[in-house]
Amino acid sequence: MVCDTARVLFAKAAGVDFDQSWPLVAEAGFSGLLVAEEDGGFGGDWGDFYAVMRLVGTHALALPVGEDMLAAHLITNAGLSRPVGAFSVAAKTIGTLDGARFTGTMAPVPWGRHVDHVVGLTNGTLLVVEARHAEIVHASNPAGDPMDRLVLDSAPVIHGPITTDLWLLAALQRTAQIAGALDHILELSIVHANTRIQFGKPLARFQAVQQNLALLAIEAGAVNCAGRAAAGALTRDCDRDQAALEIASAKLRANMAVGVGTSIAHQVHGAIGFTQDFSLHRYTRRLIGWRSDYGNDLYWAQRLGKMAAGYDGAGLWDEITRRSDAI
Amino acid sequence: MHAFGNHIFDPPPGAQALRSEVRAFIAANVVGVPPARRTNCWSTSDPAFSRKLGAAGFIGMVWPKAYGGHARHPLERYIVIEELLAGGAPVGAHWIADRQTGPLILKYGTEEQRQKYLLGMARGEIFACIGLSEPGAGSDLASISTKARRTKDGWIITGQKIWTSGAHMAHVMLALVRSEAGSQRHSGLSQFLIDMDLPGITIRPIIDLVGDHHFNEVFFNDVVVPDAMLIGVEGDGWAQATAELALERSGPERYLSSHVLLAAMIDFAGRDPEPGIAAVIGKLTAELWTLRQMSMSVAATLAAGDDPMVGAAMVKDLGNSYEQALPLAIQAGLDCVELSEKGDMIEMLASLLQTSPSFSLRGGTREILRGIIARGLDLR
Repeated sequence: MVCDTARVLFAKAAGVDFDQSWPLVAEAGFSGLLVAEEDGGFGGDWGDFYAVMRLVGTHALALPVGEDMLAAHLITNAGLSRPVGAFSVAAKTIGTLDGARFTGTMAPVPWGRHVDHVVGLTNGTLLVVEARHAEIVHASNPAGDPMDRLVLDSAPVIHGPITTDLWLLAALQRTAQIAGALDHILELSIVHANTRIQFGKPLARFQAVQQNLALLAIEAGAVNCAGRAAAGALTRDCDRDQAALEIASAKLRANMAVGVGTSIAHQVHGAIGFTQDFSLHRYTRRLIGWRSDYGNDLYWAQRLGKMAAGYDGAGLWDEITRRSDAI
Repeated sequence: MHAFGNHIFDPPPGAQALRSEVRAFIAANVVGVPPARRTNCWSTSDPAFSRKLGAAGFIGMVWPKAYGGHARHPLERYIVIEELLAGGAPVGAHWIADRQTGPLILKYGTEEQRQKYLLGMARGEIFACIGLSEPGAGSDLASISTKARRTKDGWIITGQKIWTSGAHMAHVMLALVRSEAGSQRHSGLSQFLIDMDLPGITIRPIIDLVGDHHFNEVFFNDVVVPDAMLIGVEGDGWAQATAELALERSGPERYLSSHVLLAAMIDFAGRDPEPGIAAVIGKLTAELWTLRQMSMSVAATLAAGDDPMVGAAMVKDLGNSYEQALPLAIQAGLDCVELSEKGDMIEMLASLLQTSPSFSLRGGTREILRGIIARGLDLR
């Protein structure tokens, strides 16, 4: 149901300016997806979140839909009441809290210049700040989407204690977007290979092209399978560790797939895929950015590697299987 | 577009207890196996181990009890085989019979054929081999030329199979042969159950590059096979054999052949590895975890009775790439590894560095699999 709504809405909103597109999405109420029904939300689970974010990726939707949903979830979790407006989440929040005032920086903040409130986590505390209290330094990801820096000087905040690891949740968000976008660039590449004629036949007839597209399909398949499984694991959260093993694996695998996937899609498309007019870059440039967001390959490889080494050789297999058996 | 299927593996009730049972069995029965033989363990044959495994009820698990099976759920079988593989158990002797020959006999076989083979297979006493490749028919399997000619005494088989793993230990071969004289390519092929002790069969070993004997050449010199040993429908051999290959391609053996090395390397590196080693372990773990999700999804597809042809090809291709990259990553990423030294980790590493190139050859080459995937993508 929520996916049907998202599919129609995101298709309409993709590629439209923030001021016109955001109200469409906000009106549909996605921000309450992860909020319990008794708190006025939809009571959705992480599988729903994953499915919606995958569609954000499929449409290369340039809006803070995921950040808005995560912010509502975090605010409710911290026992705070949710102000009205559009939200984003800061990847890193560094500074000092003095009473109800915060001095420091929040960055990067997706669409920081457009939203009303920004949520950040620092030292077990969740902060909610009004963007109008911040000096906003503009920056953007490789696709040109805003990734701003908020500088706060004794800005009023509301705050509450929280134990959540933001990066695990946000990594699942990016994994879902990567999964959707990879599936979409696969589709674009297939259409192009079937229609572009060279040497008197479609590119799709050339074995070298077929083998590359098969590899792209495998990478897309791997990320979609991993992302969905990680979302399921987070919903169950059998060890109360936010499915750290599963999400770390899924985000790292997704990061790896970005490199292979974007290069094959561009190779198959040739020069046309390198133009502003053709839509491929809307996906590949975002994919390139998402690989770095909330943990690049090295970050998750070391974090997951330490986790795995801590279990010992036989223990790693025990752990992987035990966690997936616990349904 | 969804490149991969959407089936979800719901663990059967009692999954953890079943794992514990298999792990206890391995702890009791896999002792003193040299490190190199614990790698790629589904190619390591130990008939005595297979008999014990059969007695414990871990072969033919999903087959009906009337044929010696145990009427378990397919996902229970999946759990048992992934535990055996992760534990490096020598499951090679009965592997083919349990994975594909037995299921094919159940699906297409006559009552006589089921009675003759399945009970012994489930006990871990009857082993099977696969008669597909020939000198002129490798990846191009439809070029098969071994002939079956019908006479009043049965079928007379003439020709040669090659690269037949375990033919020297097998009791029966499931062979794909040309049963219609003059037929071309995919038509006119039939499958036969050929007892390996029939007169006219000669088995000649082919020693592999590390000196092991897995492969064989098998010659059929006017071998008389009873009419009752044709399996399925005469002339439908191609369709039957390719359906069999889907069973062959998606299982956990397609990404776990090198797993014991990862476990040994983690122990070698210790509980608090330096950051460079941690990154190698982390990357391999992410790939392992992802492949397991994919393989389980295909297992769920099979259990639901759907066709996982493309998904199975994806699991095999990606899984083979992973189990080949694993020893290379460890060789490249670990400090001061001297391959001439002794010890579990080094001996496993040295073995896999040499044998892993075969992983993307057996059961359909990487190129063939990508061709299957490309067809599934509707490339025209």
